[in-house]
Amino acid sequence: MIALTSPYLWYTTRATGIVTLILFTIVVALGTFVANRIGGTYVGRFELNELHRSVSMVAIVFLAFHVVTTIVDSYVPTGVLSIFVPMTSSYKRLAITFGAVALDLILAVWISSLLKVRIANRSWRFIHWFSWLAFVAAVVHALLAGTDSRSGLGLAAVIACSAVVAAAAFWRYLGRPTRAAGRTALSPLVAAPEPEVRPGVRPTPSTTGAAAKRRTRR
Amino acid sequence: MMESSTLPRLLHGATGRPLTLQQHEVAFAANSPVANLFEELQSSGLTGRGGGTFATSKKVALLRSQRSHHKYVVVNAMEGEPAAHKDQTLLSSNPHLVLDGAEFLASMIGAKEIAVCVSRDNPTVVHHVQQAIHERTRRSERGARFQLHAPPWRYVAGEESALIHWLNDNESLPQYRANKAEPLRIGRGPALVNNAETCAHVALIGRFGSSWFRQLGTDESTGSTLVSLSGAVQRPSVLEVPLGTSLRTILEAGHADPNPQALLTGGYGGAWLAGTHLDVAYTNAALAPYGATVGAGILIVVGQSGCGLTETQRIVKWMANESARQCGPCAFGLPALAEDLTQLLRPTRDPQAVHRELVERCNVIEGRGACRHPDGVVRLVRSALDVFREDIALHVAGSHCAGSRSQGHFVKVPTLEREDELIWQ
Amino acid sequence: MAIKRKVGGFVLRVNPILCDGFGHCHELAPELVKVDEWGYPIIKTQPSALADLGALESARYAVRGCPRQALRIERVADL
Repeated sequence: MIALTSPYLWYTTRATGIVTLILFTIVVALGTFVANRIGGTYVGRFELNELHRSVSMVAIVFLAFHVVTTIVDSYVPTGVLSIFVPMTSSYKRLAITFGAVALDLILAVWISSLLKVRIANRSWRFIHWFSWLAFVAAVVHALLAGTDSRSGLGLAAVIACSAVVAAAAFWRYLGRPTRAAGRTALSPLVAAPEPEVRPGVRPTPSTTGAAAKRRTRR
Repeated sequence: MMESSTLPRLLHGATGRPLTLQQHEVAFAANSPVANLFEELQSSGLTGRGGGTFATSKKVALLRSQRSHHKYVVVNAMEGEPAAHKDQTLLSSNPHLVLDGAEFLASMIGAKEIAVCVSRDNPTVVHHVQQAIHERTRRSERGARFQLHAPPWRYVAGEESALIHWLNDNESLPQYRANKAEPLRIGRGPALVNNAETCAHVALIGRFGSSWFRQLGTDESTGSTLVSLSGAVQRPSVLEVPLGTSLRTILEAGHADPNPQALLTGGYGGAWLAGTHLDVAYTNAALAPYGATVGAGILIVVGQSGCGLTETQRIVKWMANESARQCGPCAFGLPALAEDLTQLLRPTRDPQAVHRELVERCNVIEGRGACRHPDGVVRLVRSALDVFREDIALHVAGSHCAGSRSQGHFVKVPTLEREDELIWQ
Repeated sequence: MAIKRKVGGFVLRVNPILCDGFGHCHELAPELVKVDEWGYPIIKTQPSALADLGALESARYAVRGCPRQALRIERVADL
């Protein structure tokens, strides 16, 4: 590995880091718009969805720059392994760990979205929930590793992004569409307990419990 | 032994207690075994007794054409319709007839596992089936293996795909089937699902042959069927009648009101039939011009003192609550229909607008669910709008029809567990 | 001007269980998909809906844009 270092690599790492955080903040906000069914009159819902997808692609490109400049820059000894595997960096172990966690989760979300047509929708949604966790990990990484996030504009940016995402999370929780997404959870048919019918044992009304009361007729 | 052209067939030899295996074999002894079971089934013209009208032999043929070592036969005795009692009665009088039929079906398709599904809310019936299975397994370890399953009772739990989903995943949720020609699967293996009464008829055909079977019934609707009669009757009862009998005869046999206002045919997801059409034969072909079907063999008699609109409103409200709430048009559409019907009974808005909205909503909801639950409710509502036209006009005009003053109801609808479960945001 | 070629044999179908009423399909293919009062799609099937290339393209956008992947373009055997 050639010993390549330059202040400009270091500046690029820091700059792309901040920009990536801001872009992912926008992605999360857009995702919340989509989930809460915003739009339909002045802006199309599908447009917000497409924006969400496009901005996430841009954010991933900037993330790639951030990661690559970190690896290539030999001023700080971070190797390829420590970028993906947590707790393997010799430099600022905890900070890089959080970065690695965020990167892994973002990769999982990205790849599952590329394969969205091929995998079950339930699996895709399960992985997609982890994007919130990825953001939290990214913020912790920014605060621990970031030279700029200690003070001034950098810190202001991190705080502002965190506030926006926290608000989005709260709004997502409030506006969670019980009309639709929680539908099946409200169904009386889901997750019935295991049957209590055992061979040789005569079932009594107590073993069938509350279910037996359901059949009262007027 | 079994006479061909007399009843009872399914309920032959019934005592107060379920027949033991020995008693069953004596009562249903056949002189000579039937040669080619599948051919006999084909020529018998047997159709499903669980509400569908498919020829049983077609379903069996589909399963026969599947190549798998893990086929299943499922006996559906869930009886989701609250007004139906025939499967319970059959299993309480002679469970071995049903199990016989299941074994015949298993041998026709090459299945080694038979899943008998009874609702756990009826512990007596569960016990009877358990005993029967126990007797069979004690007698011979060979042959197909019986397993008893007892899902909780709900209206849609008896739907084919919901039952299969229960067997797979412990949830009675109907499934979307993109291609109805593909059989349902339990794990890897294709499954043949039949109503318990259908299985019992298969047992009769297997013992006595198709020409014996065809001695009752009409040319298209062959054999006999069990009818659950309730409403304006002395006592709710289960009768075995040949298909093609007139409704009047059936009502007489069940000691029902001979001059009813209307009949609810097929079940809660069926259709109303005006009381003036009692001479119609009890077959799908004869009932079709009136928009009605034999369905799950249910007849509910509503007397002259009843209010058809009230009965319909109570049924629709309950059916809306029984939705699995997986599909939007059903989860939201059915409570909306219930609301509209309540509006027609006690109008607070313009009744003409409500009536139009009701018709419009019926058109919008139909056919857009994964299962036929919303379609059944739509059929019921449309038939009510037709049959009870004059009563509805009276309600809409602000006065009441003759029946709405009476306290009792002819259709016994189970109570809603919680009122707030129905309309939710 | 696009040449409208006949593309017979396809229909747009929705899996009503997966569908959560987002409504993106209605925005992307308004000539094929209408929305009922609760936000769920009503897909036009008469006359044979995907009869030309334009309709097929709209349908493809709708399939791609559905957040729950509830839409599919299926071959119909009897066309």
